[in-house]
Amino acid sequence: MDLALSPEQHAFREEVRAFLAASLSPELRRGAALTSGVFAEPDIAREWQAILEARGWLVYHWPGHAGGPGWTPIQRWIFEKECAEAGAPVLPGMGLKLVGPVLYTYGTPAQKDHYLPRLRTAEHVWAQGFSEPGSGSDLASLRTRAVRDGDHYVVSGHKIWTTQAQYANRLFALVRTDADVKPQQGISFLLIDMALPGVTVKPILSASGDHELNEVFLDEVRVPVSDRVGDEGQGWSIAKFLLENERGGSSFAPAILADLARLRTSTGPLTGELADRALRLQLEAEALEMTELRTLIEIEHGAAPDPRSLTTKLLASEIRQGVEALAVDAFGLAGLQLPVERPFYGDDMPSPVGSAQAQVAAARYLNARAWSIFGGTSEIQLTLIAKAALGL
Amino acid sequence: MNLALSDEQAMVRDMVRRFLADRYDATTMAKGPMSPDDWRALGELGLFALLTPEQAGGLGGGAVEVMIVSEELGRALAITPMAEAILLCGRVIAGNPAAERWSDRLMQGDALLAFASGGAFVDERLCGSAGIVRDGMDAEAFVVETEAGTLLLVDGQDSGVRRTPVRLVDGSMAANVRFDAAQAQPLTVPASLWAEAHALTGLSIVAELVGAMATLLDLTVDYVRQRHQFGKPIASFQVVQHRCARMYTWLEQSRSLLLKAALVEEEKRVQAVTAARAYIGDVALKLAEEAVQLHGGMGVTDELAVGRVLRRVLLLSRLHGGGIAARAALAA
Repeated sequence: MDLALSPEQHAFREEVRAFLAASLSPELRRGAALTSGVFAEPDIAREWQAILEARGWLVYHWPGHAGGPGWTPIQRWIFEKECAEAGAPVLPGMGLKLVGPVLYTYGTPAQKDHYLPRLRTAEHVWAQGFSEPGSGSDLASLRTRAVRDGDHYVVSGHKIWTTQAQYANRLFALVRTDADVKPQQGISFLLIDMALPGVTVKPILSASGDHELNEVFLDEVRVPVSDRVGDEGQGWSIAKFLLENERGGSSFAPAILADLARLRTSTGPLTGELADRALRLQLEAEALEMTELRTLIEIEHGAAPDPRSLTTKLLASEIRQGVEALAVDAFGLAGLQLPVERPFYGDDMPSPVGSAQAQVAAARYLNARAWSIFGGTSEIQLTLIAKAALGL
Repeated sequence: MNLALSDEQAMVRDMVRRFLADRYDATTMAKGPMSPDDWRALGELGLFALLTPEQAGGLGGGAVEVMIVSEELGRALAITPMAEAILLCGRVIAGNPAAERWSDRLMQGDALLAFASGGAFVDERLCGSAGIVRDGMDAEAFVVETEAGTLLLVDGQDSGVRRTPVRLVDGSMAANVRFDAAQAQPLTVPASLWAEAHALTGLSIVAELVGAMATLLDLTVDYVRQRHQFGKPIASFQVVQHRCARMYTWLEQSRSLLLKAALVEEEKRVQAVTAARAYIGDVALKLAEEAVQLHGGMGVTDELAVGRVLRRVLLLSRLHGGGIAARAALAA
């Protein structure tokens, strides 16, 4: 038993550090620090994506056969931890982390050849069309219809909570291709060009005033059958693969620990109840880091993921929300600003008060409420844990 | 990075687990201290020698061995003097000529030493009293840390030592000890050894707590499966499932901090053990309270294991100031 990095892992970490020191400009760091949503906004994200792609590290979590660098789970963790500590922008995951792995796992050779390179160059920007107004936690009840008409599906329906759809030109969506079988069996997975006639995006403003979310209306959109991934009716198992990938793919704790450290630098010494809350969050986050690492180390040594990996999304949501609440309380009135203009990191910002952390504290607090809702609510997570880990 | 036990470590774990499984189950666990015969038998198996430093003739087992053994003791809810007699006193007297006549017998399980805090050392004599000295009634000798911080060794037979019994919440016995000009020998203990002894004692306690938490969760999951209300097992109710799932997250987070405390580099050990105590001291008791709640009325009786385990967890989680003291130390 040991937690030490091997000499090779050490050298790798130094390589990542050197790269980040050289590539992460002050503007990118500032943009990342002033991001109030889950993902960096496009002008920052695009620049950082291009830098990573040029270095060959954009799709660091993809296997070698899919064009990734072929890193081990521990290498990926080292990379994520270093990026978090350096304050790198968080790239939108819809393409890189969600549909990318689906494509290299289930896609036809033609689909891989067409979509994977364009995903990497950001020629294609992806949005996720899963949830519907009547289908949240009960996703399998989704009603968006895809009716076969020759070489096309005619797709009609209403998707919601579509993150960054206003910047996207491609949508991957779960659609119902068969209404006469069990709900899970009638679902297929389609790739939809958002420039097609019949696609309409309508913004949903968050309580923070941020525009991260959208509704996507599909009105008799004609999607080529060749843009279906997997077989007809295979959509539900592909979606499960995607959600497991979303859950288990990367670590939450490094970003939380890095944000907490930056917050504490920015607030200066805390006392009393604030100090106690900060300490408890620190302990929870350190425990989570080790909980994530335990699973990664086991996978690195050839084991299957332990059910404990199901706990991390739930725990990360709660700790993240705790950190954002701490920020609001620690900054006092300065933590109650909402930005007047978007994007927030432009040079001509109207006079903000306090540090970058203080300026985004309120918006981040509000946006972080979504952590325990998206990607499977905390209640769904608890049910999954009870089932998989305890057999209840 | 590797979390697999070595063959030797796995052997130790299996040996302790088998030994305890032959003696403890849900009907007998946490009923009272381990019998002196069983304690001696563990000594004969070489367990204490494994955890004793080499300069005292032991095998010099380190943090990982302490974690493995203590987690098994905790899992079986065996109530033993491991933390203070073997890990604290055993280390403090290691290689100390004044303690020679006890060190071998301690390692074999034939003699106990107890750790006491209090008193003043004046003219080669110890005066004063030490409140709750765990295993103080059975101890043949005391390692005493005086109010001034001097470490002393006191023979329990000394005419200046008087003890009165105190029963603790987990059924173990402690002593209220008075020292009336008792003969005492100063112990020279290198600061590094003293720090290591404290860290390993703390590590042992959190490992026992993690073992006990795992048992509590097992007991609770079994119980909610077999307990029927409203015509079905209460495990079928989502609120019960979610509370059990929450207990599981506490257990896994605790185990993570325990592993980290056992595996960090030596110079970060004290900090990591304190962090583990700061977290586990709180959630272990919270988990035990949940276990009692999910057992319903039976949970508050002395009849089911869960009520007795609550007592043991209450004691372990509050030793040395518990989570509150550990968080204060981290904040300082």
